[in-house]
Order: sequence, then structure tokens, then C-alpha cells
Amino acid sequence: MKIVWSWLRELVDIDEAPERVADRMTLAGFEVEGIDRLGDDIAGVVVAEVVSARPHPRADKLTLVTVDDGGARAEVVCGAPNVPPPGQRVLWARPGARLPGGREIGRREIHGVASPGMLCSEAELGIGPDADGIVVLAPGEGRVGEDAAEALGLRDVVLDVSVSANRGDGLGHLGIAREVGALYGRKVRLPDTSAPPGDADDDVASLASVVVDDPVACPRYTARGIVGLRIGPSPRWLRRRLEAVGVRPLSNVVDVTNYVMFELGQPLHAFDLDRVAEGRIVVRRARAGERLTTLDGQEREPIADDLLICDARGPVALAGVMGGLLSEVEAGTTRVLLEAAAFDPRMVRRTSRRLGLVSESSLRFERGVDEAGAVFASARAAKLMAELAGGRVLRGLVDVHPKPLRPTVIELRPKRVRDILGVPLETAAIVADLEVLGLGVDEAQDLLVVTCPTWRKDLEREIDLVEEVGRVHGYEAIPGTLPMTQAAPERGADELPEKVRDLCAAAGLGEAICYAFTSPARLAALRFPQGHVAARAIAVTNPMREDQAVMRTSLLANLLDALRHNLAHGETDVRLFEVGSVFLPSGRMLPDEPTFVAGVLCGERTGWLKPDGPIDFYDAKGVVERLFAGLGRDAEFVPARSEDGFLHPGLAAAVRVADVHLGVVGEVHPETRERLDIDRACFAFELNLSRLPAAEPPTFRAFGRFPAVLRDVSFFVDEATPASRVAEVVRADSPANLVRFRVLEDYREKGRVPPGKKGMLWSFTYQADDRTLTDEEVDAAHEALVAKLLAELRAERR
Amino acid sequence: MSVTVEELGAELAEIGSRYPREISDLQTEQAIRAHKARYLGKKGPIAEVMRRLGQLPAADRPKLGVLANRAKDLIEAETDKALARLADRARAADLLRQLDVTLPGRPLPGGHLHILTQVRREIAAIFGELGFEVATGPQVETDWNNFEALAIPPDHPARDDSDTFYVEGNALLRTHTSPVQIRTMLRQKPPVKIIAPGVVYRRDDDATHSPMFMQVEGLCVDEGIRISDLKGTLLHFLKRFFGKRLGLRFRASYFPFVEPGVEVDMQCAFCTGGCRLCKRTGWIEIGGAGMVDPKVFENVGYDPEKVSGFAFGMGIERMTMLRHGVNDIKLYYEGDLRFLRQF
Repeated sequence: MKIVWSWLRELVDIDEAPERVADRMTLAGFEVEGIDRLGDDIAGVVVAEVVSARPHPRADKLTLVTVDDGGARAEVVCGAPNVPPPGQRVLWARPGARLPGGREIGRREIHGVASPGMLCSEAELGIGPDADGIVVLAPGEGRVGEDAAEALGLRDVVLDVSVSANRGDGLGHLGIAREVGALYGRKVRLPDTSAPPGDADDDVASLASVVVDDPVACPRYTARGIVGLRIGPSPRWLRRRLEAVGVRPLSNVVDVTNYVMFELGQPLHAFDLDRVAEGRIVVRRARAGERLTTLDGQEREPIADDLLICDARGPVALAGVMGGLLSEVEAGTTRVLLEAAAFDPRMVRRTSRRLGLVSESSLRFERGVDEAGAVFASARAAKLMAELAGGRVLRGLVDVHPKPLRPTVIELRPKRVRDILGVPLETAAIVADLEVLGLGVDEAQDLLVVTCPTWRKDLEREIDLVEEVGRVHGYEAIPGTLPMTQAAPERGADELPEKVRDLCAAAGLGEAICYAFTSPARLAALRFPQGHVAARAIAVTNPMREDQAVMRTSLLANLLDALRHNLAHGETDVRLFEVGSVFLPSGRMLPDEPTFVAGVLCGERTGWLKPDGPIDFYDAKGVVERLFAGLGRDAEFVPARSEDGFLHPGLAAAVRVADVHLGVVGEVHPETRERLDIDRACFAFELNLSRLPAAEPPTFRAFGRFPAVLRDVSFFVDEATPASRVAEVVRADSPANLVRFRVLEDYREKGRVPPGKKGMLWSFTYQADDRTLTDEEVDAAHEALVAKLLAELRAERR
Repeated sequence: MSVTVEELGAELAEIGSRYPREISDLQTEQAIRAHKARYLGKKGPIAEVMRRLGQLPAADRPKLGVLANRAKDLIEAETDKALARLADRARAADLLRQLDVTLPGRPLPGGHLHILTQVRREIAAIFGELGFEVATGPQVETDWNNFEALAIPPDHPARDDSDTFYVEGNALLRTHTSPVQIRTMLRQKPPVKIIAPGVVYRRDDDATHSPMFMQVEGLCVDEGIRISDLKGTLLHFLKRFFGKRLGLRFRASYFPFVEPGVEVDMQCAFCTGGCRLCKRTGWIEIGGAGMVDPKVFENVGYDPEKVSGFAFGMGIERMTMLRHGVNDIKLYYEGDLRFLRQF
């Protein structure tokens, strides 16, 4: 809401500078988002009297006008057709003058005649649309020699005030004046409504009637008649104010309705009474098939929920939103019916939303207009129409108001104010704070009985009054204390995701946080087979972009895209992880939101001074192993051919902990890469942390105090035999004192191994709890184990 | 044939004087030890002398034993000396080694946590000191938890599908972490003292808005909670987070779920006379706050006559921007390493 300083000062006395007032308003909840100074962009333009005029010797359309500003006299070249006769006053931009838009005026030669400056049009001064004629001042407008910006009242200040949704009363200068008055302890001055007396004209009731079918949607409808109007432009001061609040001036009658709306917050509508069939106004819900062309030229099809203003024939306005073309005030209009009504905020809001039609009127009705103020606003507008358009106001007022509004009365405990604000306010101070807001206060024992003005629709409960006291008193005065509350934690936070983040970062991955929604195409690129839990994603009903269309079922959709993004920007070695929620349909209203961890790796392994070779499957697996080692859990990896579609079938492992499948690790499937525009090999893992079975805290195991003995065995075995198979054979009936074993080598180079075979080197650690093992007993146990391995794996010792 | 103890003693003395000369030429520990072993071994020169012990008169035999032991001791001592000399030489040679210590170190895997994770954890820790525990909840929420219970009326603009993301099945993407307040209060009786960090969603996608962003909300409900407690709590937070005492001001504002409702500005930490961040006002908006509206208490079964409470909410990206200068909210969510590796 734009607030014009001069306008505001008509309604309340303010001595302070606009900036200071703006600061106080901001703290009190009416944030001033900007302060605009008008008229500062015009300098060096003065009011000058026309002394004489003669034609330009070399150009037909130009005139040489001699002007006098009281100090200097000059002959100025002028191209306007409306040069006034001597004695009239115009606006002379002298050499050196500055006009809006930064235009500088100098001494110019025009067809051989030097012109010291120019005479200005409205458009050149930025005060109106007229660019053809020069401004000719009305009698009484400005003195000769006066600065033009002063003479025209162009210097003003406009505050851009943000009005919160609950304060519809702030959408007019009067409401803001009341607020400012409360902050400075000043009373507001209501604008003048005394209309010049009509010449014993008819009563409005003889020309118009109003029927309200739906008093819930329209609790009040008033109509007033003004006749004998002459439509024309509004005076400049009114046009300037409308422009300052952002409304285009149209004609005196329409401008007045807008002016009063911005002054008092009450939207008004002027119907051309001669175009309201039978002078009959019916306020009712729309009927099927009805149509209405609104003032913006759009044909509308109201639905039964919309409230219409109709005449004897049909719809003439969309109640509270916009008038209709049919009954529009036009150049020839002489009689108007002036509507000042109240409409149900929810109804106006629905209609406005549904039609995508937001007007200054709908904005106000949506937030609630004070129905008690309708008559005053109507009187104010009638007075201005009479004054500015020469109209006569008919006697009387049609006022359909079946249930007059009763002011809200609230009981307030002063102790409650002190308890909530934490400030020891005296009851008298509380009363003063409320009264300055225009609230009526009766003191009764320990209770204040507060009567709220009808325009403060936001005041309904005791707590609302506590806030008012806080606002007026000022929150700056409230000290800072710490709550005494001692609440024992109900349940600890889930530390697993945090621990996993730390472990992934320690393993050399950088944490990314991606959007939780993604595009169907990215999810599809992950090739989850039909029926897979991740294949069915929850759709966002109203995404703004394609990549917000579905909720992710896998972190990899966006994480792989982040990999692509980094490669596209020239990164070569990318290692990223994310810990976050995925969204899986649950069959209930809300989806399951398990926490996943995923990682992607691509590029070269970090080496010293130079890379240590390309990242491969075992780097990705190493990260996962490190992760579970850090969590103190034993993870098992098994080949996961075609487990999930996004991994290469031969380079994928399923990850299990305590027999629970948690996810996969492997090389990203070439088709997935291709669909996601990743042009090189990359590796990924994804694990469902929510499925990690709970584990007991680890218990201490005594370690052996007697020396351990190492033995190796090297053999050739079928190339397809996995290491896990070797381990399985070892574990089945393993020798008594075998405490550890591991694979040291896996080599397949041609020439080093027989065809179809690979070489493996395994190491075994033997140790007893109670004694030092002898070479002989270790040898015996080891050889027995080797024999079993060779036999069961059909391996050949090297 | 007989020998005297003097003759044999002289032989031992000769061995004792020869040994140091011989080992002084040896360059390795192995050679020295082998040489010693030969001298002291069964076929060594001392053993050779001792084999003739029987040829001595019985009375002289102990004397020779003493001499032999002395010779052995001498050999041990000389060996140790030689080894020590060798070790000294080796140490001296070793100390001549040099490396280019300005070459880079051998890199360990170098990962990093997202700056929002770091800031979120720090915020949780600061409020944790004041006894606030971290509470979490789902991101896909019901209308009731996200709006209705928070006294946001059915026709409130925030509910429009131009502002809020809805998902199939009549659910929505939470627009704030306030549903966590509701879930917590439904689950437990007062007192409640939680903060709820997490991602939230709003249909805003432009230079200064991201459709998903991170918020932290706080809630403290007990008997006798006052708006001054809100102020003190936030003052403490600002002091810890920015490392200096910063002023704070409340501007009256309107949120359906708090009354009184305020917007919170902190004193600009970056200038004295006005800068771009505070738009030359000296104040920077950090979030919304207020006293929990009685309607909200009624919705979760708390008695607003018995308890009162404050709630606040602020953007984690914004706090990060203010402290670390990240000037584009989109950077947080692109996964761009040029951004991520800076923190």
C-alpha cells in the first residue's frame, strides 16, 4: 500500500520526518519497504506568464512565445498547438533545467531561432499523458516565478507500506493515520463529508431499489444517487495522488471512487444509473449460463459460488471484484448510483482466485472491509463528486443492512499481559496503550473490558490485545531472559545419518545436498525393474519444472546428475555422497521416508604427485567397507547380477549386514550413464540406512598373548571362482587355531596363468589362546587346509 | 709335552690384542658378529687354548680359566665398542640424508561435509547447550499437521497450490518444519524444548529463492514462558553463532500460529554505517517468531491457561550466507565441487 505523505498529514498531525515515522511503523508491524521522494527529478522549471506570441518565421507549426518569470523575460520556441493568450501562466524550463528521466534542457537553435529552454507538456514533466499541448495553469494554480514542482504540489513523499494479511484496515490512508496516531499519541481528523445541499432533489429511493438475496455473502449494501454530473478530467492534485498510489486517472467520477477507496479503505463502485435497468439492484448468487463482461473487457462465466450485482435484466458487476462494462460510467453519464457495500472476504477471495482477477477492490474485501464505515465512505465520495463533477447528491441512502455489526468486547487480564510479555506493566499503562489505539476500556476489578472498533476485525481474543499492548509499548523495551524450563530429552536424535556423513567425508567423498524431487527421466535412467520398490515414484501435483515432477526414490537420480554437472565443468575426479530421505509409496496417506546414503566416484585415484590409476569397482567397495567398519558392523558382499538396473551386471555387489539387504555397490550401467549424459566410467553405491539392523554395543574380546604364525598358499583356480567361495571353503570346518585369513593376490595375466585360470595367493594366521604353537602342528593344520582347498576348488598348487 | 700357564696366558693376551685390530676393519654388523662368534666358538682361538688346559698342572688350571674369561670379556667389550662405532657411523651417514620438504605430502582421502550440514550441526549444538533437543519429522506431511493445527485457515494464501507443493494422495511437501512442533506436542506433555532442523519446500524458484531450502525452528513450552525468554534465547544464539554480542530487535508481524508475532532482526554484524547486506538499515532480518497461539495449544491438547510458549524459525541458508558470504542460494543444491570443496 502506497501512502502519500501529504495525504496522510491531512488525516493526522505528524511533526517527525517521514524516515523516522517509517522506522516506528516498521517496528509496530507496518513495514515500510521503501520511501520515494516525488518531484525531486524536476529542477529549474518555473511558472512564467505569457507576454506575447508570434509565428516562427521559418516553420508553420512553431510559435515564438515571450514569457516572463518575474525576473527574466525570454522568447522561447514552442511547438504546441495550445499556446495560451497573454496573461495566462505556463511552465518554463529554463536553460540548465532538469526534467524526469535525467533530461537536461539547454539553449537550442530551432530552424534558425535560438530558444532559451522550452515550455513543458504534462508528459515532459512526468505528470500526465498529454504530450501534445503545454501545461496551462488553472487560475489560482501557482505564482509567477514559483518553482514548478512546488506550484503543482509535485514534491511529496510516498511510503511503500507492507500491510499484513490480518490488517485490512491498513489498506487506506485513514487506517495508517490511525496507526501512526496511536504511535505518536495523536487523534485522527476525519475527512470532510459535508456535501453541498441538493436542490430539493428526489430521494434516492424513488430512483433505485436494492434487494440482497444473500445477506451472508453481502452483509451490507448501500446505494446513493448523484445526478447532474459532468464527466471530465479530475483536477491535477487528485490525479497526482492517484498516480502516486499506482492508479491511472480516468474521469472525475471514477477517480473519486478510487480516491475514497485509497483514503478510507472502502471500495466503491459507480454505476451509470441510466444503464441500470429499472434502477433495480439485486445482489445474488450467479445462475447457470450467466455471462458478464467485466471492465477489463473480458467475458466472464460466473459459477454459483460467485456473488453478482444484477439489475432488472441481469449481471452488472462481479460483487467485490470488478464492475461490468454494461453499466460503466462513460463520457455522457450524468447520473450515477454509488455502491458502498461489504462482501464476505472468503467469497471474494474464491472468485478472485478462480478467475485470476485481482483488483484493488478484491484485495480489500478479501481482508475484510469495515461495514460500519460504508456510509461514511459513500458520503465522502458523494461530496467529492458534487464538488469535482458538478453533481447534486440525492436525498437519502438505500441501506440494506439486516444485521448491524456489534463491536467485539474482550475481557483482558492485565496479569496476562505481564505474564506473556515478561514486563511488569502497570494496569494504567496497559489501559493507555489500548486507548491510544481507539479501543474503549472499562476497568472492572482485575479485569479490563475492552470494546474494539469495528474496523479492527483482527481483534477477537485476549491474546490479540496482549499483542496490541506489546506493539504500542514497543518490543525494544522487553528484556532478554532465558527460559527456566528443564526438559529432560524425550528421545535422542538419530545419530546414524550424522555418523555416516562423517565416515563418508573421512573416506574422501564430498557431501552434496540435492533436491528431493527429480525428473521422471532421471529416475527412469536408473532402470529399476518393474515391481521394484524404487520404480514407482510419488508425483508432485503442481511442479514448477520437469525436474520437480516426482519425489526421488533413489538418491542417485540427482547425485549422478551432480556428477554430470561437475564433469561438464571440467572436473575430472569426482567423489560425492549424499545422506537423505527417499520417498516410497506406503499404501498409507504419507509415504515411507527411509534415510539412504549414496555415493558416486569417477576419475583417477589420488596418488602422490601423480594419479594412482583409474578409480574402479574396488575403490567404491572400499568406501562401503570403510563405512561399515566405522559403524562397527560386518558387511557381506555378494555378486548382485541384475539386482538393480543401474549397475553393470558383472560389476555389482549386493551389500548385506546381518543377512539384511541394504543396497548395492558397483559400476554404473553404461545405458544409465548414456541416458544421464555421463561420458565415462563411474561407480556408485546406495544403501538404505533405515534398514540397518540395530546392534548391541561391541563387547571386548581378549586377544591372544602367544605368538601368531603365518602360512601362505598360492594356487591356480578356475577364473570364475570368487574369493567368497574360497573363504566359504576355508570357513567350513576351519582348522582349530586359524584366527584370520585373507587374500593377498588375484592375478590373471596371460602367460602367468594357465588358460581359463587365475592365480591366487592367500595368507593364513594361526594362533592359540593357551600356548605357543609349534611349527609342526601349524604345518599339519595348514597342509590339511590346503589339501581341502585344492580338492574342493579343483585348484592346482603353484 | 707340557705347557705352562704363562705360555697359554700369553697366547690369550695375544688373541686379546689381535681381535680389536681385526674387527676394526670390518664394515658390517653381520661381519663383526660373525668374527666374534668365530673367536668365541668351539673352534675358535680361545677354545683352542682351553683345549690344552689338561696339560697344565692341576693347580694352574683355575688361573687359566680366569685368564680365558678375561679374554672373552675383552672380546665382548671390543665387539660392543665396534658395533657402537659402526652404529655411530651409520647414524652420521643417515643424518646426511635430505628430502625436498617443499614437495606436497602424500594425500590422504580428502572429503568434506556440506556447509549446510556444518552450520545445521552448529546451530543444533548452540541450542543444545540451552537444553533444546533436536526433533525431526517427515517431509511429506498432512494438511492438518502443516496448516490446520497451526491455525492457518483453509483459505489462507499459503495453502494455494501456487505457494505449496502438493503430492498425490492429498499430502503436501511441508512448507516449514512447524509440523514437527505439532507432532512433538501431540506425543509428549509439557515442558517441551526442541529445535527442528530440516528441509522444507515452497513454490518459489528465482534468484533469491530455492524451491527446497533448510529451516530450523525452535519451540519452548512450559508454565510461565514469556516473550522475553524468546528474546534472551535468540540473543544467546546470535552471540554464539557470530562470535560477538549482537543486538536484536522484534518487529511486530503476523503469522497465524503465533500471537504476538514478530519478525526478528539482528544488528548488522558486518558494518557500522550500513552495507549492502543490511540495505543500509543496520539491521538484518533473520526469521519469524512469537508466542505460540492459544489455538495451536488447543489443537494439540495443551491448556493455554496453564502453559505458554515461544516458537521461532529461521533459514539455515540465510544464516550461512550471513556468516560465510554465500550469495547465491542455488549453489547449495547443485552439488558443484567448486562450491562444496571450499568448506
